[in-house]
Amino acid sequence: MPSAREGPLLPVDAVVERTLPNGLRIRLLPERGAETVSYYTFFQVGSRNERVGTTGISHLFEHMMFNGAEKYGPKEFDRVLEARGGTSNAYTSNDLTVYYEDFAADALPVVVDLESDRMRSLSLTPETLEQERAVVKEERRLRTENSIYGLLEEQLESLVFLAHPYRWPIVGWMDDIERIRREDCQAFFRTYYAPTNAAVYAVGDLDPDATLALLERSYGDIPAGPPVPPVAQGEPPQRGERRAVVRHPAQAPAVLVGWRAPAARSPDAPVLDVLQACLAVGESSRLRRRLVEDLELAVSIHVGWGWRIDPGVFSVFAEVAPGVRPERVETALFDELARVADGGVSPAEVRRAKRLLRSAVLHELSTHSGIAHALGQSEALLGDWREAGRALEHYAAVTPAAVKRAAAGHLDPSRRSVVWVEPGGAG
Amino acid sequence: MEEERLPNGARVVVARRPGVPLAAVRLLVRAGAALDPAGRHGLAHLVVQAARRGTRRRTGRRIDEEIEGLGAELGAGADEDATSFGLSAPAEWLPRLLDVVVDVATCPTFPRGELDRLRRREVASLSHDLDEPGTIADRAMIMAAYREHPYGHPVEGRARHLSAMRRLDAADFHRRWYGPGVATLVIVGAVDPAKALRLARRRLGGWRPAAETPPEVPAPTPREREVWVLDKPDATQAQVRIATPAIPRRSPEYFPAVVANTILGGGFTSRLMEAIRVNRGLSYGARSRFSMSRSAGIFYVSSFTKTESTAELIEVALDEIRRFRDGGPTAEELDRAKGYLCGLFPLSLETHGQIAEKICDLALYGFGIEEVTGYRERVRAVTAEECREVGRRHFPDGSGAVVVVGPARAVASALERFGPVTVSPARRVL
Repeated sequence: MPSAREGPLLPVDAVVERTLPNGLRIRLLPERGAETVSYYTFFQVGSRNERVGTTGISHLFEHMMFNGAEKYGPKEFDRVLEARGGTSNAYTSNDLTVYYEDFAADALPVVVDLESDRMRSLSLTPETLEQERAVVKEERRLRTENSIYGLLEEQLESLVFLAHPYRWPIVGWMDDIERIRREDCQAFFRTYYAPTNAAVYAVGDLDPDATLALLERSYGDIPAGPPVPPVAQGEPPQRGERRAVVRHPAQAPAVLVGWRAPAARSPDAPVLDVLQACLAVGESSRLRRRLVEDLELAVSIHVGWGWRIDPGVFSVFAEVAPGVRPERVETALFDELARVADGGVSPAEVRRAKRLLRSAVLHELSTHSGIAHALGQSEALLGDWREAGRALEHYAAVTPAAVKRAAAGHLDPSRRSVVWVEPGGAG
Repeated sequence: MEEERLPNGARVVVARRPGVPLAAVRLLVRAGAALDPAGRHGLAHLVVQAARRGTRRRTGRRIDEEIEGLGAELGAGADEDATSFGLSAPAEWLPRLLDVVVDVATCPTFPRGELDRLRRREVASLSHDLDEPGTIADRAMIMAAYREHPYGHPVEGRARHLSAMRRLDAADFHRRWYGPGVATLVIVGAVDPAKALRLARRRLGGWRPAAETPPEVPAPTPREREVWVLDKPDATQAQVRIATPAIPRRSPEYFPAVVANTILGGGFTSRLMEAIRVNRGLSYGARSRFSMSRSAGIFYVSSFTKTESTAELIEVALDEIRRFRDGGPTAEELDRAKGYLCGLFPLSLETHGQIAEKICDLALYGFGIEEVTGYRERVRAVTAEECREVGRRHFPDGSGAVVVVGPARAVASALERFGPVTVSPARRVL
């Protein structure tokens, strides 16, 4: 809870916002501090916009964005940026594809030139597609096929969702990565990378008026795109527990349990943030204490919970202690969750959770990059960048009764999905 | 920024910064894994974990509750040179949090039950590490590059050694090495420096000296090329490291080394990225780094690829090393690397926590603030010839270890052209 002497969390009034005639949304925030600027481009597309046969195209496409456009050819994007004291990267989620650059403030015109060039005229050659396909397959081998958590997560999402596109992995199925064609990429670019489907956030040592004029000049002539097709929402209700076992030559077992959880816009989303902190943030959280410290059944416990546009997943991951059967971890975990659903959490636990969340929000807003990302994330998931400044209000309103209700309502045993890795197989 | 040395030798540095109403605290003790006794690898790491499990005034649970109840999480860990305790939290809680942090570092009691439990947990988490090919490769690399040197074992220790540790080992280590003479306390953020200094004097002033001063660590010896294959029969991808002893952090070659490495394998446009990822699609990532500690350091290349292309990846990396040793960087590469390093430098000092960490580094390596304020000027002064010289002296040519974690049956024979190959089960690194 903010103390009385604290100013607003985000200087909302200082944000300059504009939507260009082609639909591109622009939000700028001048911030003192480091003489750097953080520049984010959010495209409202992720694995939820895909279909079977070309799963993984959003992520593969993210790679293609670094391979040259009309003005800046292949390999030039990062060379030009690095020479000017900047760095770039990108990520793809279930909902979004996000590009960002952090750089010395005087490189802003160059960054705007680079970003608008690729939004206007990305080149998609057969050679670069094959090269990135190989790179993405290595990425999949690294993060999914040779990673215990990766294997489990992929299984869990396909159990939790029967119909919704959240059921396939962001990186895509290996077969689909093989199959994506250049024409698929071209159509994808026309629809999802048009300014209509994008927003730019710049935060840092910048002059908002001059920057706005620069952005209008640079992006203004890019044509608007077609309307984006809606995402099918036909997820049927879950009528009982679902289970899967992954046989893998692992050293020790691991368990991942998940529930379909509310969308970001639901009033329960911040309540589940508080529940997550009560359960597994910090050494004195409930699950760490019970499963790791008291019973020594698990080596580590994590709760996964990220806000998504459509109803997403609330999950618990446990690395099981060697020699312990995963059933015992499950039983202890479900007992503890039932205790929260039946008896609730104490006011002290909720106060602790809110303080941890407040620190996390303050940390996020302590860098240009963190602020720009928070603005973009809030607009993409909640429909309004101003929500980035309201996080603490939402947390402040959460009561112990709401946490109990959320645990009882969302972590229902008959609607959970459970995946184990069982050691076994080749070696 | 205010600095003071207390009568017992402890250094205190306070920096007031505007911005978010947070304060970062970091307490560094110059005692790390290099002091682990023979047969007790992992002791420094266990001591720092165990310190937070109970002091004369607080139980482990109370420590967790006090810190987390104020919205902070205590980070406590060791590396080869030092141990540090740190947290960051709303500035109004500074007095209470500092009290706990200093209590944990100076007055731990190592309750037997807690120590035994931690020991079991550390051993258990090592077996989960065995499921992470990248982690196995990193552990093996340290062992292969440093061998019997005090830096030559992973900080997290070895399963057999951890299992043998007793309460007395931990208490002894703490008594011998933890003391104000090797400690630096740093506070950065929305604080009043005079008040913070008073607070620090009160909390740290009574800390009595450690029994011993850490000895200096010698330089490691370079060795002929060897290839270690750690067998993971199930893996579809091989993790690769190429490593050799190089330079300590205080080396006069530091700035040329940073620039040369940026060009070879630092940024996104480095030669290794270009050769391995962009031109051949062999991997998702490839990088190199000088990992520099107080008394020694290593240079290494790190990447991964599908098992079929393991030897090709190593060949390409060694070719790039050779090309750099022979020709050094081009003028364009040199300019780009300098622009990159200088432009990004402010980003490494953006948060209170980053600044606190940087100040601790200065203390650990014995630098003054000019190491930070003069950074850009010294980067800009680096010449192409200095970079080539760094490459010639420290990028491995025929020396150093090649470590591969992957299915031995599929990869080992193709690796013989790089040097004598030893195949072991992956658990050798535990």
